[in-house]
Amino acid sequence: MEHSLIVRSSDQIIFTSDQHWLYPLFELEDYLEQKNLTTQDLILTDKIAGKAAACLIVRLGIKQCHIELLSERAIPVFKLHGISFTYDHLVDHIQCRTEDLISDKMSIDDAWLFLRKRAGRVQGLSVKIDKLSVRIEDKLVINQLDLEMGRGEQLVIHGANGVGKTTFLRAILGLIPVSEGVIKVGDYLVGSNLWKQFRSVIGYVHQETIKNNFPISAGEVVQIGLGTTSVSKSENEYRIEVAMRRTGSFHLVNQPYLTLSGGEKQRVSLARCLCQNARVFLMDEPTSFLDPQGREDLLLLLHELSRNEAPTMILVSHEQNWTGQLDWPRKELKGGKLC
Amino acid sequence: MLELLSLPPILKGLIVLAIAGLTFPITGVYLFRLNLLPLRFMLMHGAILGGAVALAFQINPFWTTIAINLLLVLFMAKTSRSMKADAGQISTFFMVISISLAFIFIYKFNVPAKDTLTLLWGNLFTLSWPEVIGIGFFALVLTGFQYFFRQQLRALFFDREIAFTSGIDESRLYYSVIFLTAITVALAMKLIGALLLDAILLLPPIIASFQAKSLKQMILGSALWGGAFATGGFLLSIAIDIPASSSIAALASLAFIIIYLTQKK
Repeated sequence: MEHSLIVRSSDQIIFTSDQHWLYPLFELEDYLEQKNLTTQDLILTDKIAGKAAACLIVRLGIKQCHIELLSERAIPVFKLHGISFTYDHLVDHIQCRTEDLISDKMSIDDAWLFLRKRAGRVQGLSVKIDKLSVRIEDKLVINQLDLEMGRGEQLVIHGANGVGKTTFLRAILGLIPVSEGVIKVGDYLVGSNLWKQFRSVIGYVHQETIKNNFPISAGEVVQIGLGTTSVSKSENEYRIEVAMRRTGSFHLVNQPYLTLSGGEKQRVSLARCLCQNARVFLMDEPTSFLDPQGREDLLLLLHELSRNEAPTMILVSHEQNWTGQLDWPRKELKGGKLC
Repeated sequence: MLELLSLPPILKGLIVLAIAGLTFPITGVYLFRLNLLPLRFMLMHGAILGGAVALAFQINPFWTTIAINLLLVLFMAKTSRSMKADAGQISTFFMVISISLAFIFIYKFNVPAKDTLTLLWGNLFTLSWPEVIGIGFFALVLTGFQYFFRQQLRALFFDREIAFTSGIDESRLYYSVIFLTAITVALAMKLIGALLLDAILLLPPIIASFQAKSLKQMILGSALWGGAFATGGFLLSIAIDIPASSSIAALASLAFIIIYLTQKK
């Protein structure tokens, strides 16, 4: 087989890839999405497939495949989802760390998301914080704090009121000076000249205090995300529309921001971050002023974001009941450190 | 009235007031949105200091007040940055020091009281052509600034932190706004004086804010109201022979109270 992946439709080759690991399958995903093709009648031929590849094949919706070298671990996945498969050689497992990391508890969607992150096919940037200390008026609020997050990962930080959660986020944003330590977002060192140019990679959704009475429409708030980007009016409108549709707030585009409910404002704020093309989202008590429906909507929206754009997300909140439903890793900020 | 308008100082006054009325309220919007009212007081007192210095040394008060106000803004920006202090508090300090220095100059250099009073109600008809051109040029710069930076300004007025995190150099923009405001206040002092400059600086944006649903509407509304008050007040002053500054302020106040009461109903 000259290509690592071949896809046929009615005996005609419609897609090939020579990439390695799981990349051919991700390329195929892009191709199918671009061409808007149905996958039911496609036949996929892959050189090697383990459990990870099997999960991706299932998620692509392909029903028939032939694998040259197949891992036994892939078979239950194929059988469970009714995939018709053949193979040339069967082995116990393939030499790939990724196959070991896909647990049986993971759903196909979970595995897909995990693999996307591992393949770097997420919007998020890594966050690395090393021995961060922040003083506010002689009080050491953050004390030698360390944190490492991979691309597209999520984290909930909880802690009592006044413990320094907001200060921590503001330090990452570069809004307050740090006394000691280093914050790195992707390749950007917060505070450096390079970061000053690219600081819009971090989107900020702060506590909604409803004190702002500035006459501005929801669409104009989203437009703020474009920052200093100079684009044509039509491109401008297109970006705003895409971002607002993503967060289900496009119907609010012309409404005065002041008249929106708490939940609608949060949707608009997240759309602003998407319009900004932010790759790290920092959310400070986003449920403040949200009614039960607003909280439910926000939960769904964050789930959706983590599955699609998959930005790296840090959410701080003191509401443990609500954040518990997010199913994100959690840390507590206590004594200026994360534990 | 047409006869009077054919006189160069009167015509010059009308042209300048129309330009100022249409453009100066833009900085009034800035003052409101950024909560810079203490800064406005500082600049008004700075303009009085500039006038006092000019009268004491018999130099051109127009350019001196602009220079003094720009110096005050520079000092204020530098002090508030280096001391990490609130700009409002620093403005209050410079306001007090300016007026005290102004009175020291007036006293020590025996500046005639009548001349000093011109600082308070303006001196519209003594404008020279270079001054008229200077005001026209500044009005163009101010309008251009608002037009070309409208998107960034909108972000700044909405939320400074959000503007910062969106990649906007909000600090530079903020100080540009203060810089333009400093010049506007100095110019407005010359036109209608310290006590009445709010008539074209603040009342138009307040009235515009009753109806405005966007920054664009607020800016356009302020400009229209400002233009109407300035030209209407000026023509009224000629018609019934009262000082132009008082006439503009009276007309603006009357319009404000009528619109305010109508809104309330």
